[in-house]
Amino acid sequence: MSGSLNNIYNNVSYALYLHSVEMARLQEQATTGSRINRPSDDPSCSYRVITLNSQEKSLENYINNLSEATDTLELSSTVIQDIQSAIVETKVLLTQVMGGIYNEENRERLAERINDTLEQVVSLANTKNMGQYLFGGNNTTSAPYLTERTNGEITSVTYQGSLENREIEVAPGIKSSAFQVGYDIFGSDDRSDPVFLGDTGAAAGSGTSSVKGDTWLTVTDDGGGSYDLSIDDGATNVNVAAEVLAGADIANIAVTNASGEVLYVDATNISSTGVDMVSVPGTYNIFDTLISVKDLLRNERELSDAQLRELQDNSLTVLDEINELIVQTEVTVGSKIGFLDNLKESLEKLKYDAEDEATLLQEADIAQIAIDLSRREVLYQMSLSIAGKLMSLSLLDFLG
Amino acid sequence: MDSFGIGISGLNAAQKAFDIIGNNIANAATDGYHRQRLNLTPAYSSQIGPVILGGGVDVAGITRIIDSFLQKEIFLQQSSLEQVSQELAMLRTVENSFGELSAGGGLSTALDDFFNALQDLSAHPTETIWQNQAITSAQILAAKFQTLGQFLTTLESQISLEAENVINQVNALIGKIAELNYNIKRQEISSGQAYNLRDQRDQRISELSKLINVETQSREYGVVDVSTSGIPVVINTSALELEVGLNENLMLGITVANEFNYNTDIQGGRLGALVSLKNDLIAGIQNDLDNLANAMIQQINQYHVQGVGSEGSFTSLTGWVNESVDLSDFSTVAAGYTYIRVTNTSTGAVTRTQIDVNQDAASDTLTEIAGFINGAGVANVTASVNSSNQLTISADTGYKFDFLPAVLPTATTDFAEALPPTVTVSGIYTGTSNDTLTFTVSGDGSVGNDDSLQLIVTDSTGMIATVNIGSGYAVGDEITIGNTGIKIALSIGDLNQTIEDDKFTVQVFGNTDTSGLLSAVGINTFFSGSNAQNIAVCADITANPKRVATALGEDMTDNNNALRIAALRDQAVTALDSLTPGEYYRRLITDIGQQVSVKQSHQKNVEVMVQNLASQQSEISGVNINDEAARMLIFEQMFKAMAKYLSTLQSSLSTIMEII
Repeated sequence: MSGSLNNIYNNVSYALYLHSVEMARLQEQATTGSRINRPSDDPSCSYRVITLNSQEKSLENYINNLSEATDTLELSSTVIQDIQSAIVETKVLLTQVMGGIYNEENRERLAERINDTLEQVVSLANTKNMGQYLFGGNNTTSAPYLTERTNGEITSVTYQGSLENREIEVAPGIKSSAFQVGYDIFGSDDRSDPVFLGDTGAAAGSGTSSVKGDTWLTVTDDGGGSYDLSIDDGATNVNVAAEVLAGADIANIAVTNASGEVLYVDATNISSTGVDMVSVPGTYNIFDTLISVKDLLRNERELSDAQLRELQDNSLTVLDEINELIVQTEVTVGSKIGFLDNLKESLEKLKYDAEDEATLLQEADIAQIAIDLSRREVLYQMSLSIAGKLMSLSLLDFLG
Repeated sequence: MDSFGIGISGLNAAQKAFDIIGNNIANAATDGYHRQRLNLTPAYSSQIGPVILGGGVDVAGITRIIDSFLQKEIFLQQSSLEQVSQELAMLRTVENSFGELSAGGGLSTALDDFFNALQDLSAHPTETIWQNQAITSAQILAAKFQTLGQFLTTLESQISLEAENVINQVNALIGKIAELNYNIKRQEISSGQAYNLRDQRDQRISELSKLINVETQSREYGVVDVSTSGIPVVINTSALELEVGLNENLMLGITVANEFNYNTDIQGGRLGALVSLKNDLIAGIQNDLDNLANAMIQQINQYHVQGVGSEGSFTSLTGWVNESVDLSDFSTVAAGYTYIRVTNTSTGAVTRTQIDVNQDAASDTLTEIAGFINGAGVANVTASVNSSNQLTISADTGYKFDFLPAVLPTATTDFAEALPPTVTVSGIYTGTSNDTLTFTVSGDGSVGNDDSLQLIVTDSTGMIATVNIGSGYAVGDEITIGNTGIKIALSIGDLNQTIEDDKFTVQVFGNTDTSGLLSAVGINTFFSGSNAQNIAVCADITANPKRVATALGEDMTDNNNALRIAALRDQAVTALDSLTPGEYYRRLITDIGQQVSVKQSHQKNVEVMVQNLASQQSEISGVNINDEAARMLIFEQMFKAMAKYLSTLQSSLSTIMEII
């Protein structure tokens, strides 16, 4: 027999409970706009959503770092262009000098202008962005270029930055460097055989010299029929006869300086004392070149006009080499910027896709929720109504 | 006269029927009440001559309408329902405490922010603002871990307390059941049925089944024995008290009072849920969370100890308090080595010394290691262990130390020639394990001069590079050795292969703390602690952000350590089932979600089952008001008829008496 009082009560309360629970769930979805408000709502979807959210955050961070790297490279590019302008200007000045229209006083003023250019280039090479030096490689905290001065003028520029790149991760598994190693971009590393410019008769030996840029080879008489060779203005000397006696090949005498640099000299045809400029193509840097040009304008070594002209002509070649180097660097930086821009676009698309997928997975269908909620409300009301009817009427009502 | 007897029996029967019906209606809403029925039988009949006459109606007894098998099934399912409901409620609480997919985010967000901050730091390793950001995000991460760890520990304590509370209720019910058994037995032996008492007793058993699983066994005189998890708790009229507590493995279980033989395999009811939560579900979640925290601590520290921050090398470092000096008590310290570099700050000269750790009896305590450092071991550095077992390493005045894997600037040479070159070494080794690069001279001659002069470079795997140092090599130029990241430069000089194999070696390091000693004792670590509750950023890091170890190179300006620490985001960790930290956490949280979801489904299914069983029971044993009202009508008519019959008999007798 069915219809006991407890039975009716249990069925009604259970039905009401079910409807209430379902309405609460639908209400939560409607309020939050999301069908997944906790992992238990849909565990497999939740895993995907949490993963996508994490991916999105990570991509956003990569994009920010990438943007910063791009900004740094763009600034570097601007600086490099400014340096290139300075090189071009120097070349123009030197060409004018070689046209022979400048007297000594004018050459002195030009030398001062070259010095100003050098100051400008050093300053540009020591540019900072947001507290970080652009051209110090991995060392962004101290100025990469240190100057030595005599009477207020720059006499040498030394690179003291890092020789390592500062690599940062700009995308998962992809690293790029925003901070350049000044030593690499403002100086060549494509050594050729040294070229001897002078009248002493010295020539390049067969060994691989390590001197860079322009080096002055001083040939002096040793008073014993041989010659002393020096590449540091006599601070250290190598005697040709002594070297040969010790077993060295006269066609390949190693002339060293206190810094450990070596110039291999073929001393076979040395016939007179004097100073030769030794030019090593492919090893020049901007700063030493400008210093050389400045020194040539002042002719402190009192070279002859012919020698001076030859050296100035060489300087033009070197300035071309430097200019070529700067252009290549600009291209490298430009292509790096292009690469990073493309990468940024890809990352932004990935981020958008991740965001989109997460939203699609989580988003609640509001229209469907509204329909379901109405339906549940109706069922709830029906349950209450039926309960009222069943529990209020019994046979007792009809007994006399 | 039998006629009157018949009438009176009818009235009697009707009256008893009214009592039963009244009792049923009165208890229509009483939980656990089983409706009763009056059993009537025709009374003893008498024979008068050839005629056999009926004797009216006898009240044979009262029947309690109950399906015992159904009742047992209800106890079982009720028990199951309570267990799953309790487990579900607790797991929901845990899920909510993790706060994933809610506004503000949970540990997942903190993990992401932390690794993002490390990545930002790798792009700006020397800037204070980024160092501070990394530390702040680490502190937030640690706080999240601590909050969750503490919450789970508190929850476990609450579960234990709740279990004690429940067992008290269980004991109270057991006592009551035994008492009711006694009363039922006494009543049924002496004066017949004790159905109301039986209902009360069965209701207690039903309440007990919600607390713990029960098995019942009926005996004579209405007594029911009750046992739970194999323990007989009510035998006849005797009750056995139960206790709840932790066994030697700290697992929650129940035992007979004062016996301490804990049974941890408890199923059913709230107690079953509490035991399952404490021993398995919550313990499992806590274990996973602790694993994750510990892995984060270990992974980050293993790299951090080897690097330096923008502040550079150290003059003094003190580790954390340890419980023991014996290295065998440190689970993360293995037999290995620690390599310490000491720099003369005036001359820049650098030395590196190997410290044996757990290699033998002379290196298996912190005190012995400190002794080695102080003795002939490490020049210009001293070490001590205080009463709290903290290791302190200090440099002498004019010296600093660190644990950088950076190559020493000079190589170990073995040259035979009178004027050999000097070898300078630089770069940052890209390998992950320690090795020795051997540079063997091939050919004879002068560096930079002779065509045949080369260096054959080998490591533990074999030959890795051949480099030209003869004609074409400018002395002083750096040569990068393969993909090692190491660069060498040679000065002018002579080398010889023919007479004696000239060679030099460079020790390279991927790990300067192979023993794990530094991480274990807190020297130059980033995180302290070992689990979710005690993970924290080391105090000396928070006090000085420049101590965040971002660099690995000799000049200490690089970001290589920051890069490799940031890369841990995507590195699978063996201790985390070869998952990355993010993947492991996501698996943890979705496992919790999955458990909640499964429990929800299970609860729904069991609820329906219990509902159906309850309906079934109501149909059999429940009071139907309409049915009782109808029966009341019948017996009312019967009573009226019997009264009329007796009145008719009386009238007949009076007529006979008048005749006489």
